[in-house]
Amino acid sequence: MHVNLRLNISKAVIFIHTTIFGILGCGAEGPKVQDSQRFRVALLTPGPISDQSWNASAYAGLGIIRDSLGADVRHVQTRTPAEFEENFRQYGAAGFDLVIGHGFEFQEAAQRVGPEFPRTTFVTTGGTGTGPNIAALSFVFEEPSYLAGIVAASVTRSKVLAVIGGTELPPVRASFDAFAAGAKSVNPQVTVLTAFIGNWEDAGAGKEQALALIARRADVIYQNADAAGLGVFQAVRESPGVWVFGSNADQNHIAPAVTLGSVVIDVPLAFRLLAEEVKTGRFVPRVVHFDTKSNVVRWVPNPAIPPLPPAVRARVDSVRLAFAEGRGPELAGRQ
Amino acid sequence: MIELLLVPFLEAAVRTATPLAFAALGELVAERAGVINLGLEGTIIAGCLGGAAGALLGGPALGFAGAALAGMLIASVFALFVVRIGTDQIITGTALTLLGLGITGTVFHVAPAVVGAGQVIPTTGPIAIPGLSAVPILGTALFRQPLATYALYLLVPALAWWMGRTHAGLALRAVGESPEAAAAAGLSPRRIRTVAILFSGLMGGLCGGTLVLAQVGAFNEGMSAGRGFIAIAIVVLGRWTPLGTAGAALVFGGAFALQYLFQSLGSSLPYQLFLALPYVLTLVLLAALRGRAAAPARLGR
Repeated sequence: MHVNLRLNISKAVIFIHTTIFGILGCGAEGPKVQDSQRFRVALLTPGPISDQSWNASAYAGLGIIRDSLGADVRHVQTRTPAEFEENFRQYGAAGFDLVIGHGFEFQEAAQRVGPEFPRTTFVTTGGTGTGPNIAALSFVFEEPSYLAGIVAASVTRSKVLAVIGGTELPPVRASFDAFAAGAKSVNPQVTVLTAFIGNWEDAGAGKEQALALIARRADVIYQNADAAGLGVFQAVRESPGVWVFGSNADQNHIAPAVTLGSVVIDVPLAFRLLAEEVKTGRFVPRVVHFDTKSNVVRWVPNPAIPPLPPAVRARVDSVRLAFAEGRGPELAGRQ
Repeated sequence: MIELLLVPFLEAAVRTATPLAFAALGELVAERAGVINLGLEGTIIAGCLGGAAGALLGGPALGFAGAALAGMLIASVFALFVVRIGTDQIITGTALTLLGLGITGTVFHVAPAVVGAGQVIPTTGPIAIPGLSAVPILGTALFRQPLATYALYLLVPALAWWMGRTHAGLALRAVGESPEAAAAAGLSPRRIRTVAILFSGLMGGLCGGTLVLAQVGAFNEGMSAGRGFIAIAIVVLGRWTPLGTAGAALVFGGAFALQYLFQSLGSSLPYQLFLALPYVLTLVLLAALRGRAAAPARLGR
């Protein structure tokens, strides 16, 4: 009962959102068939855009597409695979030029709906599925995660690190593995504890899970849990001597005193590059890799804390350079 | 070694149980008056939002007031429909849960500054009670907690006394068992149910307030994360008594804390197994306690 209600709730939330935004004229109204020649782009996010992380960065990217390309943009929050398909289909039927499903989990829906609407380009953020009008953005998030691992192993005193995810999506798992590999490249003796919250919204559970890991002597935490991660930041704030990493967006400002840095995906930059190609008709459906070289994925140290020791910075810089030149350490899960 | 595991576990159990107990005790009072308030989840998320907005205006105290008020606001809509207009309790409650989640999300998007998007919301930290908090093992778990937890220590026995030993408590239970008989005895079932629903809204709001102001220090959409439904299960598990409900909330808090602990031990078992633990426990306990019917006779009608 619990699960079913949650699913229905999210649907109704979206309904209420769209209705109220529609009434207020805030621009979130559903897709309508229009005959305007404007470039039209829709974004589907798997969670709330207020998470200061994965979904927020996508919404910021949508804003960049609107402002830099004069596009007509729409956003909708979705949760279940049935909603992914339904919304893909609606925007396809409305003749949108570009529809972005912001997450690995959207790729099956794109494969099913794509062939029905050949005029629309369907793009999933993450994933590997392609087709005549289907593409995927692949962020080599593992590279800056590996750099964060180097930093973590250099800072830890207890030699216990922890990673906390929302759910175990393959890109999340791959970035955690890269983090552990980076840490072990500095000190093979470090232990990396892994935990998942089971969703991306329960900030209370995020905080408790972090406290449980801290009680197990973890003193550096790499979190990738979107809104639920806000609870992880709070746990670290309350625990002296513990550090945390931001992820997806630059989260250094959330808890500036205890954050070492953020593993950033510059989604706005990636979206702009993608939308420009689609608008000008240059786009070739493929898996678009964004790696360290593209500067779309990068390690951003927190400027509000004292700089790391020069030796650590030098090590991070040299590995980053190696990644940029394509001769970095082999990372499992990299496509 | 065992203390290193046990003490943080017990602390987490009490922390996790605190917001659940607030919501469940409110639901308990509504259910004893014969009203099942499925809108609880909506009152909790409204409480989260009200708590955040209030705390930004005037600190944690105003935050808790805002949380209680927001919860009561949602509950008053529920009371209006269920008691005044006589709509179906299950459907109305579900609708209000959806409304609460939708409205709070919308407010967050329309006026993010009001509810502190990207800001740290002032919180009430744990306060150690001198002497008691130094007791081995249980000391910090029970007596180094935020004020909200201590408020429950007073509220639970007070509610048990009120419900079992006062005329008003008897009137509440009479309405839940037989509104007709209660009316014949000169009581007003409508008024009693309305007050009970408002109380459940107040407590649901405080549950949300505790989440934001004593735990997370931030508001985000959907952060109630199903606690309203868990609280309703807690009332059933607690056999519709205040002490039972408080105990059941603690059992649930313990189940969640155990889940956090298991994951932090670095086991190679799939994490989904641990996440399911509190829910499996509910089913097992409900099955074990079956047969001892204690539900108010006119619950939901």
